[in-house]
Amino acid sequence: MSVATAPTAALPKRRKTAAAEDTAERRRTIRTAFAFLAPSLIGVLLFLLIPIVMVIGLSLVQWNMLTPMKWVGLSNYVNIFEFDGFGHSLIVTLYYVILNIPIQTAFALGMAMLLRQKHAGSGLIRVIAVLPFLSTPVAMGVVWNWIFSPTTGLVNQFLGHLGITGPAWLSNEATAMPVIAFANIWQYAGYNMLFFLAGLGAIPLSLYEAAALDGAGKWEQFRRVTLPLLRPTMLFVLVTGVIGSFQVFDTVYVMTAGGPGNATQVASLNIYNTAFAGFRIGEAAAMSVVLFLIILAITIAQFRYFNKRITYEIA
Amino acid sequence: MSSVTTTASAAVATGLATEERASRLGRGVRLTGFYLLLLIIALIFILPYLMSVFAAFKPLPAILAQSPLRPPTSPTWSNFSTLFTQYDFGRYLANTLLVTVILTAGQVIFSMMGAYAFARMSFPGRDSLFWLYLMTLMVPNIVTLVPLYVLFAHSHLLNTYWAIFLPYVLGVPYSVFLMRQYFMTIPKEVMEAARLDGCSEGRILWKIIVPISRPIIITATLLAFVFGWNNFMWPLIVTNSNSLNVLTVGIANFNSNFGVEWNLILAGALVALVPMVILFAIFQKHIVNSISLTGINR
Repeated sequence: MSVATAPTAALPKRRKTAAAEDTAERRRTIRTAFAFLAPSLIGVLLFLLIPIVMVIGLSLVQWNMLTPMKWVGLSNYVNIFEFDGFGHSLIVTLYYVILNIPIQTAFALGMAMLLRQKHAGSGLIRVIAVLPFLSTPVAMGVVWNWIFSPTTGLVNQFLGHLGITGPAWLSNEATAMPVIAFANIWQYAGYNMLFFLAGLGAIPLSLYEAAALDGAGKWEQFRRVTLPLLRPTMLFVLVTGVIGSFQVFDTVYVMTAGGPGNATQVASLNIYNTAFAGFRIGEAAAMSVVLFLIILAITIAQFRYFNKRITYEIA
Repeated sequence: MSSVTTTASAAVATGLATEERASRLGRGVRLTGFYLLLLIIALIFILPYLMSVFAAFKPLPAILAQSPLRPPTSPTWSNFSTLFTQYDFGRYLANTLLVTVILTAGQVIFSMMGAYAFARMSFPGRDSLFWLYLMTLMVPNIVTLVPLYVLFAHSHLLNTYWAIFLPYVLGVPYSVFLMRQYFMTIPKEVMEAARLDGCSEGRILWKIIVPISRPIIITATLLAFVFGWNNFMWPLIVTNSNSLNVLTVGIANFNSNFGVEWNLILAGALVALVPMVILFAIFQKHIVNSISLTGINR
């Protein structure tokens, strides 16, 4: 019987096994894929997604990590502004961002324009300018403390030679924040310059030739050709820069610790102090949520602005 | 008539000559200005390092008395030996190195595996999971700080080495994203051919993808290493014993305790800065290219 039916039955049977093998193979691939994905997926879940859900929950309770949590609804969101000076922190942070971002971006773009043409030595400067990006902000903070120290620092010694008595930069309310902003501009200007150099390299020279034929001067060419075509780069540099600046912590911690008074009490420092010196977890969580929403809103606004401008340019 | 034309042409010639001379002069002025600017830029970026090196090899009285720009007359290692014998900078350095190496190795390998799955394997839910990863890119670190601390406190992981690197060692979305974008540019046929030859996915990744993707892997490695080395806020809050301190935390503590002992504190800063300068000197070309690579991918 088996002999007689073999040729006819074998064909569908073989097809069936092939199909079974196929699904088995597929299942194996899926298993492998998830095995490959597992570590980073666990990381994303445990250290990013769960904390985001948690931070919202924690912002609605009163808790010092020792006694049981107490549900307080939205009152933390009121208290952080009324009692913890978070409004002041946000203003100070915004002030820092405003000091930092425009100058840093202009400096980075200026250097990129300068180093765009290949002259002898421009490659070396390009390398030197990027070095600060790697340097430990905490360690650099200490170096800046010295450079801006009232009597032994380079800055005041230099001013002294000119007959000017320099201020105690970091313990003066008017100068502390600009010095911190300077430290961060120094750190990231060269890094951002690289993005501008890449962006500038992608602009076809023929556009400049055409603009020059139309009688556009150097400034006109910069305004009408360079800037519009750098918009994607500009968006990237501004978005990453703004997100980073709103979270500034390391240099502030080392250079002023929020002082003098609370002139440099930026948002992240306030969160740190509230959570880990005051152990008021609920308030710190509420501050985190507010800061997140502000960063998110500004990021979205930047995307909108640049997208609008880009479509306008194409039309 | 002919004399008129000759004088005219002569005038034109001299005019051209002066114009040329003027433009050459202009070029000279512009080039001088260019190099002056380059010099100023170079000084701005180099001086802080140079001065710190000078100071770190001077005793405190010399730092207080001399100009910061003056090299040490009789360089001394005593600041460094004080840091390494009387204080725990040896320990801090070893801790930093250990934690950074573990963090970097894990982050690069696990991100690479995730990136490969997203780029070149098909499984249900792939696109929505990838979107999830992308969305987490928008979340600033500071937002997850407090809940992460609570999680680690509840798992009794505070004050351990694990606490310092665990949040970053399993692969991070940014790194997954960077590598995934790169892997997408490798033709599918390469992998399909290898699969037909009976190559396992692990072997394909290790033997085929990794060698082709060296630039992006070096980028991810450098970014992870720099991040680990410079990380401050997280180690600051999850460790509070001196024996677990990394360099950044050690320097910050030292700064609040001995803030005006410039000889020691600047030498301490250099302990953190110099390895990065060396790393930079070795990999500068890669680093410069890497950073551009991360920009293009956006």
